[in-house]
Amino acid sequence: MISCTDFIPAYSKLFQFLEARGGREAVLDFWHYLSDNFLGNLKRLVQEHGLHGCWLYWDRTLTEEAADFTMELDEEAGRFRITVHRCPSKSRLLECRRLQPYHDYCGHCDVLYRRVLEPLGYGYLLDASRCGEASCSLEVWDPKKGLDVPACPEAFASCAGAPGE
Amino acid sequence: MAKQVSRRTAADNEYLHKDFHGALSAGIEYLHQRYGAQAVRDYLGEFAAAYYAPLTAALRLEGLVAIRDHLAHMYQLESGKIQLTCSDDELLLEVEACPAVAHMRRHGYPVARLFSETTRAVYEAICRGTPFKVQVLAYDESSGGSVVRFYRSPQ
Repeated sequence: MISCTDFIPAYSKLFQFLEARGGREAVLDFWHYLSDNFLGNLKRLVQEHGLHGCWLYWDRTLTEEAADFTMELDEEAGRFRITVHRCPSKSRLLECRRLQPYHDYCGHCDVLYRRVLEPLGYGYLLDASRCGEASCSLEVWDPKKGLDVPACPEAFASCAGAPGE
Repeated sequence: MAKQVSRRTAADNEYLHKDFHGALSAGIEYLHQRYGAQAVRDYLGEFAAAYYAPLTAALRLEGLVAIRDHLAHMYQLESGKIQLTCSDDELLLEVEACPAVAHMRRHGYPVARLFSETTRAVYEAICRGTPFKVQVLAYDESSGGSVVRFYRSPQ
């Protein structure tokens, strides 16, 4: 058995293995497969609960991944945002000296979730510009609320400092 | 509708996301479908040889107790019921039910047809280049329960 705590290096290695076999296309094809076959729970939650479904999904996964994060939901404004201050998976990968991380490891977070959320009518943006520091942010928004661009962090300034509200 | 904010730190929770077993299973099934069974074994073998290199080194230096301690720690972490019987020349691992398979069955994730290679190919790679070999004596596809024998190779 491979422990779930060893999964991230195994996942990164799989991306490398696929790229060696079939180039970048092979990696993207796998990410599409994974999104279609493995993220049914995210899809169901968002179909049932709207943006609150994102909250329900990531609240569990980020908790089980022991992430250092801030998650914000403003259903009235149609915005959901996660700021990952320290991604436990990416930081483990960066600290692992035995395996070179896949060069676009964080790319899967963009492809997998976008593929679920955009067909449901939501906007999705991943800011992976700080992924080298195991930090990122993602935003999901509802264009039906009149938003056609991602929110800036200031959009949530009014609810910051009210954890657990 | 109220705004909600949640702030958590790494120290607030234990790192144990068992859905990762389902993702690994999906990866194994994908490899199997697109590239064949040997690709699954090659991938797991390459991963294990690199990632578990310190365990292989410890196996060479300390013998089977290194594997015994690794397995005891891993199954304790995953709440798996196992029995380990260890001597200088042989280690028997008896797994009542694989915690990964149990989690996937419980949550409706498909179990890859070659998921057993996470036992066979991984342990073979860990033993490569050491005086020890491994045999999977039994593997139950439905529960992932298994009997695995690590032994000193006569050569």
